[in-house]
Amino acid sequence: MESTSQTSSKSQPIAAVLLSRAHDPEETKRILTEKIQQRPLFLTPSSPPPSDARAARRREREKKRLSRKKALKPKPLSANERRKLGLYDVPRSGQKYVLFEPLHQLWLGYIREILGNEIHTGGEGAASKLTSADFHGAEVEVVRSGCVSRVGLKGIVIKDSRFTFEVVTKKNQRKLVPKEGTVFRVEVPLATVTATAMGEEGRSDDNKQQQQQQTEAEQPKMIFEVHGEQFQFRSADRANKKFRSHFSNIL
Amino acid sequence: MLSFPTPSVYQSSKCFVTYGVMGHLDPNQPPTKSKPWSTVAGQDFINRVELIISQETFEVVQKLVKERAAPEYKRVVMSLHDILLGAFFAEHIKKGDVMMLSEGRKGIDNVFTLRNGMLTMFLDKEAYERAGLVGKPDGVKGKRGLKPRWVVEIDLTSPSMVPGKKGFDRLIYASKNAFGTPVTWLFCNLSSTVPNPDPIAPHAPTRCTSEPSVLQNIDAMLPTLKPPIDAIGPEGREKLEYFSTELYEWLSLVRLQSPRVQVGDQIDPYLCRYQVPGDGQQGKICKVTWQGFLAPSWCRQTLLDLVAGLPSKAWFSFSTTTFSKGMAGDNSQVSLFRPQGASGEYVMWEIKSHE
Repeated sequence: MESTSQTSSKSQPIAAVLLSRAHDPEETKRILTEKIQQRPLFLTPSSPPPSDARAARRREREKKRLSRKKALKPKPLSANERRKLGLYDVPRSGQKYVLFEPLHQLWLGYIREILGNEIHTGGEGAASKLTSADFHGAEVEVVRSGCVSRVGLKGIVIKDSRFTFEVVTKKNQRKLVPKEGTVFRVEVPLATVTATAMGEEGRSDDNKQQQQQQTEAEQPKMIFEVHGEQFQFRSADRANKKFRSHFSNIL
Repeated sequence: MLSFPTPSVYQSSKCFVTYGVMGHLDPNQPPTKSKPWSTVAGQDFINRVELIISQETFEVVQKLVKERAAPEYKRVVMSLHDILLGAFFAEHIKKGDVMMLSEGRKGIDNVFTLRNGMLTMFLDKEAYERAGLVGKPDGVKGKRGLKPRWVVEIDLTSPSMVPGKKGFDRLIYASKNAFGTPVTWLFCNLSSTVPNPDPIAPHAPTRCTSEPSVLQNIDAMLPTLKPPIDAIGPEGREKLEYFSTELYEWLSLVRLQSPRVQVGDQIDPYLCRYQVPGDGQQGKICKVTWQGFLAPSWCRQTLLDLVAGLPSKAWFSFSTTTFSKGMAGDNSQVSLFRPQGASGEYVMWEIKSHE
């Protein structure tokens, strides 16, 4: 008796047995293959696309709510906590302008790499690349501002937050410059001849220095101005942001 | 018509009439503080001075005019940066006394004026924000939404305005970055000494002299040249108003060399209904004009010389007109009239524009 039951379970799966009780053998076979053995396995709950727009909206809303909850799960720091932790403090010893000059040179190299040939032509192409660039290490100068005391501030950016630039000036002072109503100017000197020339090993040292001095004095620069009003985004958020031209009410 | 918007609070020019007595003139101590001398000297840059007298007294005036040096001024193209640096700043501004006016209209362009050591800049919003100097809002108040204009006033003679000090360095930065373009200036050296070598020479100034131009023997109908006797006091106010308005109108027509005041003028009353007030006296009059960039102190001195030099019974009219201010181009004016036969009295009209 056990052997027959064993052989029967081996030859026919239990689903077939149950189906055969309700349907004729042809139907049983069809149902078994189409709906059980070759059953489509949905990988994500939203495919196939929902037939109802309302259901789609609802699904989006739910997803957004969950993701927002998830984003706040490790809660962001409050202002007091931030100040206590001292994450953005710069110690007195670290406020020296000379410390940030290598960073500035790095930034210049980075910008030249981003712009490529656009550094010569300027215009729309350069502008779109520059808006997504990171500005830490740029040397900015306030050129126009609704608050007139800010005009003339010049320094290297050490922190680019949503509404301000924190800048270290040549006199080793840390200044916080709001972006609102302010226009910043950035100058990018084009690469020097001795730096970019590859096959110039034959030159003597002092000749190279002289050339460098000469080219520094007459070095062509790419100068662009950033309107702080339109730039009020964190540098991370700015990377993928598409900028549209707005009419500014301060101009 | 005009493309710029009208100010929302528009006020026309106002005329103030004064009928008074000139004090005793001591040649050693010329009066400065009393009217009318203070009003004449209190104007800023004067463009035109006109003198109207009768032909008989003209010979005296001619002598006066010939002995007097014609006022000189220079026209030069400089930038504000050039003014603030070097020998020009040290000699003319710190030590000397100069008067300078840049080109442009006050409500439209960026205008700079330098007077008594005070540099005043009338700027539009962009220039002000790029300059970074602290100033006050200028122009019609209560106009929200449209771009306001700004006035920046800096005293250049103060001891803190020295290269090396923070305030002065900010001014230099502004002049380099925001006001870098050279503009045409009118320059007048008020002090009697000229530094040698003249620091303005490298900028190739054009020297101009305001020689007086004389118009003689104008045959004109004269109005009553004496104010009515009862024009003094509160009861005579209306009479004074009529007299002064009619006389000012006649003087203005003479200054404009209008044919309406000439003898034998036959104009159709449909075109012009003006008639010279008074009893139809006729006489010959002369008009002397100085035009240029004149200092108010020179005008006051000329007026003093005239009052001292002319015969005491003679009448004369002396009027000074400033450069135009503001968008509407109004200028302010001071006109003085000494009536015939009354040597100490004067009637003065002050036309003040809104700004």
